[in-house]
Amino acid sequence: MLYIIGLGLADEKDVSVKGLEVIRKAERVYLEAYTAILLVDQKQLESYYGRSVILADREMVESQSDDILASAHEKDVAFLVVGDPFSATTHTDLALRCRQQDPPIPTRTLPNASILTAVGATGLSLYTFGQTVSMVFFTDSWKPSSFYDRIAENAGLGFHTLVLLDIKVKEPDLKAMARGKIIYEPPRFMTVAQCAGQMLEVEEERQQGVCGKEALAVGVARLGSEDQKIVAGTLEELAEADLGRPLHSLALCGKKMHEMEWEYVREFAVDQEKFDRIWKADYAGKG
Amino acid sequence: MVQFTVEELRELMDNPINIRNMSVIAHVDHGKSTLTDSLVQKAGIISAKNAGSARFTDTRPDEQERGVTIKSTAISLYGSLVDPEDLKDIPVKTTKNDFLVNLIDSPGHVDFSSEVTAALRVTDGALVVVDTVEGVCVQTETVLRQALGERIKPVVIINKVDRALLELQVSKEDLYQNFSRVIESVNVVIATYFDKTLGDVQVQPDKGTIAFGSGLHGWAFTVRQFATRYSKKFGVDKTKMMERLWGDNFFNAKTKKWTKIGTHEGQTLERAFNQFCLDPIFRIFDSVMNFKKEEIPKLLEKLEIKLTAEERDLEGKQLLKVVMRKFLPAADALMEMMILHLPSPAVAQKYRMETLYEGPPDDESAIGIRDCDPKGPLMLYVSKMVPTSDKGRFYAFGRVFSGTARSGLKVRIQGPNFLPGKKEDMFIKSIQRTILMMGRYTEPIEDVPAGNILGLVGVDQFLLKSGTLTTSETAHNMKVMKFSVSPVVQRSVEVKNANDLPKLVEGLKRLSKSDPCVLTYIAPTGEHVVAGAGELHLEICLKDLEEDHAGVPLRISDPVVQYRESVNGTSSMTALSKSPNKHNRLYMIAQPLEEGVAKDIEQGRIGPRDDFKARARVLADDHGWDVTDARKIWCFGPDTNGANLLVDQTKAVQYLNEIKDSVVSGFQWATKEGPIAEEPMRSVRWNIMDVTLHTDAIHRGGGQIIPTARRVLYASTLLADPGLLEPVFLVEIQVPEQAMGGIYGVLTRRRGHVFEEMQRPGTPLFNIKAYLPVNESFGFNADLRSNTGGQAFPQLVFDHWQILPGGSPADKTTMPGAIVETMRKRKGLKPEVPGYENYYDKL
Repeated sequence: MLYIIGLGLADEKDVSVKGLEVIRKAERVYLEAYTAILLVDQKQLESYYGRSVILADREMVESQSDDILASAHEKDVAFLVVGDPFSATTHTDLALRCRQQDPPIPTRTLPNASILTAVGATGLSLYTFGQTVSMVFFTDSWKPSSFYDRIAENAGLGFHTLVLLDIKVKEPDLKAMARGKIIYEPPRFMTVAQCAGQMLEVEEERQQGVCGKEALAVGVARLGSEDQKIVAGTLEELAEADLGRPLHSLALCGKKMHEMEWEYVREFAVDQEKFDRIWKADYAGKG
Repeated sequence: MVQFTVEELRELMDNPINIRNMSVIAHVDHGKSTLTDSLVQKAGIISAKNAGSARFTDTRPDEQERGVTIKSTAISLYGSLVDPEDLKDIPVKTTKNDFLVNLIDSPGHVDFSSEVTAALRVTDGALVVVDTVEGVCVQTETVLRQALGERIKPVVIINKVDRALLELQVSKEDLYQNFSRVIESVNVVIATYFDKTLGDVQVQPDKGTIAFGSGLHGWAFTVRQFATRYSKKFGVDKTKMMERLWGDNFFNAKTKKWTKIGTHEGQTLERAFNQFCLDPIFRIFDSVMNFKKEEIPKLLEKLEIKLTAEERDLEGKQLLKVVMRKFLPAADALMEMMILHLPSPAVAQKYRMETLYEGPPDDESAIGIRDCDPKGPLMLYVSKMVPTSDKGRFYAFGRVFSGTARSGLKVRIQGPNFLPGKKEDMFIKSIQRTILMMGRYTEPIEDVPAGNILGLVGVDQFLLKSGTLTTSETAHNMKVMKFSVSPVVQRSVEVKNANDLPKLVEGLKRLSKSDPCVLTYIAPTGEHVVAGAGELHLEICLKDLEEDHAGVPLRISDPVVQYRESVNGTSSMTALSKSPNKHNRLYMIAQPLEEGVAKDIEQGRIGPRDDFKARARVLADDHGWDVTDARKIWCFGPDTNGANLLVDQTKAVQYLNEIKDSVVSGFQWATKEGPIAEEPMRSVRWNIMDVTLHTDAIHRGGGQIIPTARRVLYASTLLADPGLLEPVFLVEIQVPEQAMGGIYGVLTRRRGHVFEEMQRPGTPLFNIKAYLPVNESFGFNADLRSNTGGQAFPQLVFDHWQILPGGSPADKTTMPGAIVETMRKRKGLKPEVPGYENYYDKL
């Protein structure tokens, strides 16, 4: 059996009791460490679980999944995913490969908290979120702006948009890759400020008024942990905000932002007066 | 020699109308350097300071040893017209009878034709030297084509006329026929590469664009010179006279009338050219060489030639030389021809601008070039690097096309990969010093205005081989030179003594700088590889490397040929590859690219920087492409300009433009190292048939797409009957009839074949043209010599790529298979060619 286990968002103790039991008795335990990271390191996990954990990077999961699945049809293998296994990540492929094995490997999923739900902590109602988008690190020549179209679709319906931010834990250097060499870049995590900056950059180009300087948004950092941080404000303000250590996410407010939501969010505002003024002028009753 | 101070010379530079920048080009051994020498001795400019000590003809010792020119040298000449009245005949009005002629003598051997390309770039006119006896040879044609491609106006000298007279003893009419044949074949080449903007540049004796002479004896004449002499005598207009002195024009002495008919009352009339131009020359030859002592003084008097007492005592060839040199000094004829018929920079840059400049034709740099404006923004093209006496440093040799270059000026140094608005391959630095390059000697000069050739100190560290220097922030590059030869032969080098490795690495860098064509790189196996245009070129490069640039003993491998990977057919099914996360799928088909397209790309007629609409037009009109396809070319590769194309044939794929960059990177990678043996690919067109992508950009970044693009390119290639292309030389051999049998034997043994065999009219020599695979050419010269008793002289020039016959390269039992296996082993790959399954993903 392959157990795909969600670890939750913050630290080693977010794992479910059921999950912990599986981990303790499994033959091998893999920790997927590239779509998201826990706020604690591997050692802390291992000491809590009381066993060793194999770190699985992108290459291993995507290109050498046979190692992970070896003998999984008779023994238990645990595959740990930060957050919730099937929420913001792409592990359907691993589950698919289990099905294709001969004999097929049975799988079981243990859900957990995900950023998709935890973002409710901002006060924005989960019912009014539209499509989720990701923001990648722009380079000089690569500035994918297709996220803008989806934010625009959401905005058209008055929905909020959750923006997940790029993390590069062990990504190959593309220039070296094109020369046939694999050199890994140092890990990088996008901050709320970088994300807001890139959104403004694309808005400048597209000019549809979807994520301009005066658009309200909420930045979150380390949700679920003890030092979680939530900051609300205009994108212009957020582009200057410092939310500290990773991981960060950002929620862009839709026009449907209800009075209750506003009342809750304004407590996090950088500049409450400005926040109120913009909400009243551009959001209240417009959705 | 003419003595000048730098100030006087500098003054000449200010008047672009009176400047001629020209190169001397020809087939090897047709006598360029000898001819140049006679010009230099008469008109070479030498700074007053160096007079007496300077020897311009001084060249590399190995050049003298081998009797071939290896590097091109620039020399400035001072010229004036003998008769100031002739100034009227220059198409652009000038009043000053002082001309600055910058002449570049270039090598004739095909292996060094990249030097010719570099020379042509900085000149506007070319003096094409053709041997009377040998006629237009393969290299004559190549250099002429190069010249016309750069919009360079040619004038011709038919050289070695003394050989025809002394060795072959031809009659006047035979010589005339010989001349017309040579002229006709030159004009055929010119007509083939006709360029509308440059206009009609056919050469005609009666227009004065052809001279006849002997570089060795130092004499030459144009029809114009004789016309000048006779126009007074006959009281006819000079232009009219010129027309009469060539072609079917006869002077009937009896009726004293000019006629077009060669007979009068049953008697044959003598052709005017023979009667008026050739006759005096034949008479001199006859009387001097047959020791008709009594005739000589009469003849000399008639022709107004005065000899000194010492000279009168000479006889035979010595006397002939002196007489002819006084009668028809080569320098006068050539100088007159160049000044009258070659364009000045002010004229030439008007029509050359669009072929010289990559940017829009109306920006400030383009206008500066067009007007040859010394006050415009600086536009300077560095065409080659010349080693200085200071080891490891180079002068950058080039031409100012616009603005004025001066010492201390801060300039943007833009390498060939620079793109406007980007910072890559660009440095902002000051020119340390501007200098004049006069043969081997240099002379500092404060500034150099537009239209002149110069050397620069202090920019060599920032440019590899060539590049653009400018002061305009918006300037695009000057067009990168396209070489007619490619580095197809390579040898790897290693140091004998491990401690010398750093010196080798440094030496390779210097070698690469000093030669426009040589390629040096480190193979994936860690070997240092030097690639050159031919055996001789490589030999000389390696000699320079060992003795000069690196200065350490080297071990050099046997020559190895560079192959190319290609396909023979279309992929048998659409290839599919999935990204590592399986969310992105690329579908492609490989097919052979039309040979004409591949050639056009390699010769720069079709390129990545063209306007895509204009390019689509060319592809549709000349190569039968579908216009919609042709507009959707994503990229060229390898190195963004190679002869492989990636064409987007998808319909309505969302986010496609967001992965284009990554696919292009994968394409550059794959075309640089093909699937068969990691050799570069050539002449393949890939069509992207379909693409499915993850909606979220984070799951389709470069890390996902680049390897996938490479895999699908490999899979589609392997599904399309892959083949290996080998380079083939065009061999031209001149040989006497009795030695021909030996040539056929040698060629057949080396997989070569003869496709043309022609007797040179009036000589016992045969001209043989054949194709010979480069791989079989090593030691060809020696083999040929021993089989023909040393009577055959071959010229080898890279001509085309051909599919290596004998079967699939993936099958080890075939010849291509065996070659692939050795190559793979040498590169440290596993010996088997991987199957397409390695790169193909099932749906």
